[in-house]
Amino acid sequence: MSTLTRPSTATATRGAARAPRPGVRRQWAPYLFISPFFLLFTVFMVVPVGAGVYLSLTDWAGLGSPEYVGLANYSRLLRDASFGAALANTAFYTVFAMVVVLPLALLIALALDARGLRLRDFFRLTYFMPVVLSPIVIALIFGLIFDGEYGLLNATLEALFGVGGVSWLTDPWWARVVVVVLVLWRWTGYLTIFFLAGLQNIPRELHEAAELDGAGVVRRFFAVTVPQLRPVTAFIAVTMLVSTAQIFEEPFLLTQGGPGEATLSVSMFVYRAGFQRQELGYAAAAGVVMFVIVFVLGRLGTRAFGVGRNR
Amino acid sequence: MDLNRRDLLRLLGVTGLGAAGAGILSGCATTTAVDPVRSGEASLGLWTHDPGYASYFTQAATDAAVVGGSAWSFGVDVTSVAPADIVSRLVTQAVAQRPLPDLAGLVIDQFPRVMRAGIAENLFVDLTSLTAPLGDRLLKTQPYTVDGKVYALESDNSISVMFYRADLFDELGIPADVDTWEELLEIGAEVAADTGQAIGMVANGDNGSIVNGFTQLLLQRGGTLYDADGNLAVLSDEAVEVLELMAEGVRTGAFVALADPYGGAAAAALKGSRLVATVMPNWYEVYGLQANAPDQEGLWRARTIPRFAGGGHVASTMGGTAFAVLKDQPLTEAATDFLRRAYLSQEGQLARYFAGAYMPTLVDLYDAPEFQEITDPYLGGQRVFEVFSAAAADMPLFYQSAGASVLRDSLGGPVLRAITGQVGAEEALRAGVRTYERQVQR
Repeated sequence: MSTLTRPSTATATRGAARAPRPGVRRQWAPYLFISPFFLLFTVFMVVPVGAGVYLSLTDWAGLGSPEYVGLANYSRLLRDASFGAALANTAFYTVFAMVVVLPLALLIALALDARGLRLRDFFRLTYFMPVVLSPIVIALIFGLIFDGEYGLLNATLEALFGVGGVSWLTDPWWARVVVVVLVLWRWTGYLTIFFLAGLQNIPRELHEAAELDGAGVVRRFFAVTVPQLRPVTAFIAVTMLVSTAQIFEEPFLLTQGGPGEATLSVSMFVYRAGFQRQELGYAAAAGVVMFVIVFVLGRLGTRAFGVGRNR
Repeated sequence: MDLNRRDLLRLLGVTGLGAAGAGILSGCATTTAVDPVRSGEASLGLWTHDPGYASYFTQAATDAAVVGGSAWSFGVDVTSVAPADIVSRLVTQAVAQRPLPDLAGLVIDQFPRVMRAGIAENLFVDLTSLTAPLGDRLLKTQPYTVDGKVYALESDNSISVMFYRADLFDELGIPADVDTWEELLEIGAEVAADTGQAIGMVANGDNGSIVNGFTQLLLQRGGTLYDADGNLAVLSDEAVEVLELMAEGVRTGAFVALADPYGGAAAAALKGSRLVATVMPNWYEVYGLQANAPDQEGLWRARTIPRFAGGGHVASTMGGTAFAVLKDQPLTEAATDFLRRAYLSQEGQLARYFAGAYMPTLVDLYDAPEFQEITDPYLGGQRVFEVFSAAAADMPLFYQSAGASVLRDSLGGPVLRAITGQVGAEEALRAGVRTYERQVQR
C-alpha cells in the first residue's frame, strides 16, 4: 500500500521560488482560453457602450471635435415633448405586446397542441410565416390594406356594414392601433412556436393524473399547464418585453412615426436624431436613456417571472 | 499576480473605454494632404441613389461634346447608395479616414444634414466660383447654399406645373386655362359633387409627403419656409391662405387625400380616373403618371399652375438632387471640371435631358430651339418646353436651413390636422412653429 506524503512548506516555498513558471501558467491558462470572448466583448460591447456614453455628454454632428456639454443633452431630453411622446408610444406598444400578444400566442399554441389536430404542420408554417417575410413587403401590404381612400379594409367595411372611410394611417389613434395590429400579426405566430415547444414537453401523465383527480379543462390549464410552462413563459415574456421596448421596424415602415409623432417610438427617436438631424450627442443620450429603461424593465421582468430561479 | 474573472472584466472594460476615447479623438483628427492629379486618367468615384444619374454620368464621361478639351480622360465608378445613407456614409468615411467618392449625389431633403457644424464646408468643394459667373441664369442654387457658398449643383429643376387629363377636362367641362386656384377650386367642388372626381391631391401620409405638398403650394403663393438668411418664415399670411385652400379642397372633395403620391393609392386614383389633375414637379410625369398609368399615354397635358388670386407664381418646385465634389481627394480638381462640363454647359444640360428627362438648370436654355422643339408623346405630343419655359421664368426660390428636418416633423401633424379641418390654419402653423422652436438646436 503506498502512502502519499505532503512536502514540507519550506520545501514547497523553495521549489516555487526556483521554478515559478508552472504555477503562473496554471493561473493564466484558463484566462487565455476564455480571453477571445472577453476581447470580442470588449471590442464590440464595452467600447461602443463607452463611446455612446461619452458621446451623450457632447454636442457632435459627426465631423469635427465633439464639444463636451455635460448633462445638457439629458436635460434637453427631459424637456423634449417628442421624447415624451416616443416614450408614451413605446409604453403603449410594450403593454399591448405583454397583455394581448403573449396570451394570444399561448391560446393558439394550446389549440395547435390539441390531440388529433389535422394539418398541424400547415398551421405552424402559417403562423410562423410573418416572421420570415420581409418587413418592407409587410409594410407595403399593410399600407394597401389600411389605406384610407383605397384600402381593402375600408372597402370591406363599406361593403359589409356600410361604414368606411376610417383614416387608419392618418388618424393618430388609429395609426397606433394599426401599428399594434402589425405587431400582433407579426409576432404572435413566432411566440406560438415557443409555447408549443413548451407544451409538448409537459408530460401527459400530469394531465392524466389531474383528470383522474376530477380536474376539468380549465383547472388542468391553471394547475398543470401554466406552472409547467413557467420557464418558457418567463423567457418569452422577458424577450418580448425587451424587444418591444426597442420597437423600430413596424412604425418606421408603416407610418414613419406619423401622423405627426403619433407612432414615434424611442428607437425611431434615436434614429431620427442621429441620422436625420445629425445630432449624434443627443441621439446617444436618448440611446443611453433607452438602454437604462430596457435594462430596468428586463431586470424587473426577470425577477417577476422568476427567470433562472428553477435551475 | 492574482487574477480573477471580475478583475479581467474590469481591466478590459477600462481598456475598452480608453480605446473608445482614443478612437473618438483620432476620428476627429484632420485628414492629411494628398497630391492632386492634374491631368490624364481620372476614374471618378460616384455615389448616387438614382440609376438615371449613374447612366448619365457614365455616358457623359466619354461624350466628346461634354468632356472634349478637358485635361483629364474621365471614367466613372458608380456605387449605388440609398439617399439617407449617402450623407451618413460620407460622414463616417471621413471620420474614419476611409476612401471617399469624388462626386456624391445629395437628395434635397438630405442636404440640411450637412448644413450644420461645418460639415458641408469640411467635406465639399465650394462651387461658388463656378456658379457666380452664371448669376441668375443658374436656377436652384439656394437650397444648397451655406453661408453664401454653393456646395452642390442641382441636377433637375424639379419645376412644378399642373398635369391634367385633357380628355376628362373636355368631358367634365373644365376649362384648361382657368386663371386662378379659387376659380379652379370652385369648379372642382362641383365636379366632385357630381362625379366624385378630384382636380388635385394632397398628401396625408408621412410627415415628409405632407410638408412637401404644403411647401410646394406655399412657394407658389410667394411664401417660404425659411428666408434667405435661414430664419424660419413659415408663419405668414401666405401660409395661412395655402392651408385654408388645401382644407377647402379636401372638404369639398376637389382634392383627394392620398397617403403616398407615388404608391398604390395614387395608382388607383390615376387608373380609376378619379384624379383628373395634379400639381407636381416635372419628374412626376415619369415616376408618377407614366409608372402608374402607362395606358393613359396621350391623354395627359401640362400647363402652368393657376395663380392664387392674392398673388404668387405660376410655378413651384419640389424635390431635387444635387451633386457635390468631395474635398481634398486626388481627383477633386478633375471631378470639379467634370461636374462643370456635365452640369453647367448647354451640351451637358441637353444630354442630361435626353438621358433622364432632367430639366435644365440654366434658365435661358428653356427657350433654345433644341429644347423648344422637344415634344412629349405621353403628353399628347405637346411641346413641353413652351410650358416649362414660362414656369422656369417664374420659379420661386427655395431656401433650406439646418433645422429643415425638425421643421418637417414639427409641421407634419399640425398641417395634416388643418387640411382635414380639425384645427384652423393659423392655429396649426403656430403649433408647428412652437414645436419647432422647442426642438431645433440653436
